[in-house]
Amino acid sequence: MRKFLIIVSLFFVVLGIVFTALPLGTIAFLPVGLAIVTAALLIFISKPEQRKFPKWILLAGLLTLLSIMGKVVFIQDKIETDKQFEQQKIDSKKQDVKDLEGL
Amino acid sequence: MKRYLLAFGALLIAGFCFSQIKPNEKLTYAASYNMSGLMTQLAQVTMQTETVNTSKKSFLHLSLEATTFSKWDKFFKIRDLYEAYVDPLTLKSSLYKRNINEGGYIKNEKYIFEPDGKSINSTTKHKDGSETKKSFRIGSSTQDAVAIVYRLRTIDFSTFKPGQTTSFVMVFDEKEYPILVKYMGLENVPAGNLGKKQCYKISISAKTDKLKGIDKNLIWLTADSKKIPALVRFSIAVGTGQLALTNASEN
Repeated sequence: MRKFLIIVSLFFVVLGIVFTALPLGTIAFLPVGLAIVTAALLIFISKPEQRKFPKWILLAGLLTLLSIMGKVVFIQDKIETDKQFEQQKIDSKKQDVKDLEGL
Repeated sequence: MKRYLLAFGALLIAGFCFSQIKPNEKLTYAASYNMSGLMTQLAQVTMQTETVNTSKKSFLHLSLEATTFSKWDKFFKIRDLYEAYVDPLTLKSSLYKRNINEGGYIKNEKYIFEPDGKSINSTTKHKDGSETKKSFRIGSSTQDAVAIVYRLRTIDFSTFKPGQTTSFVMVFDEKEYPILVKYMGLENVPAGNLGKKQCYKISISAKTDKLKGIDKNLIWLTADSKKIPALVRFSIAVGTGQLALTNASEN
């Protein structure tokens, strides 16, 4: 059971770090949340001398959680100017006026 | 005298149907999509109005644009543009366009409403550049999807009782769909730069598989003369999400 929880919590913490590095927004909360829960559970079921590694996993999870929160709060979502799309709109409008003239 | 009476009558009717929709209005929304139970901001949706003049007539150009935030563009780029050219007073559709570009899926549709309002000439452009033209009949009150959104804003919900309904007929994908609009009462919701506003809560339903659930497609319109959509919650075939107003401006 303990080994299984170590693998699961490690998997989720790595997945959380990958999701945080990628621009996936709040989705990263999901693996990190699971990593924290499994790490906490691991600490709870481990003997006092076995708690060092689960504590590191928990710390990694908490730090990742903080960085996700920082990204959500401080990094604003932006729209990139799409020149092709803008040109498409201008051309389309010219055609629309032509179509409307025919009505 | 008869002529004046007729003109007065026409003005009165126009007053009743008079749209509160003014040109140069810009509404910006943050669109979120439910991913594994978490609302994730994906795109910006902009609703804009402007006057377009031809040599014979003046039209109100209504546009609805969806653009993914730049961080999502590499994964799933969306550049959707829905447009309608309508009569500024009655909001009757003359031209409707739907240009979709969603992660490589492209669809370009154009409907030209015949002046009698009883038929549509549609043109669908395919990815390979070929075109399909079709002509089909519609009811005289049928409107396109964009005009319906704005038409909703002209309804006087202050006279409605919770549960009271009204209906529209919408043309979409070359088919007509009856749309049922149900007033559900008043609620306070955040409305971007307008602050927290008292809103009319409206449920939209249609006999189509495009909208899912009962009272799952909701729109909150500010309970004032402008009836600005402050919040939209949708439940469609591919999932659920919401549009939250971030900025409303008039030039």
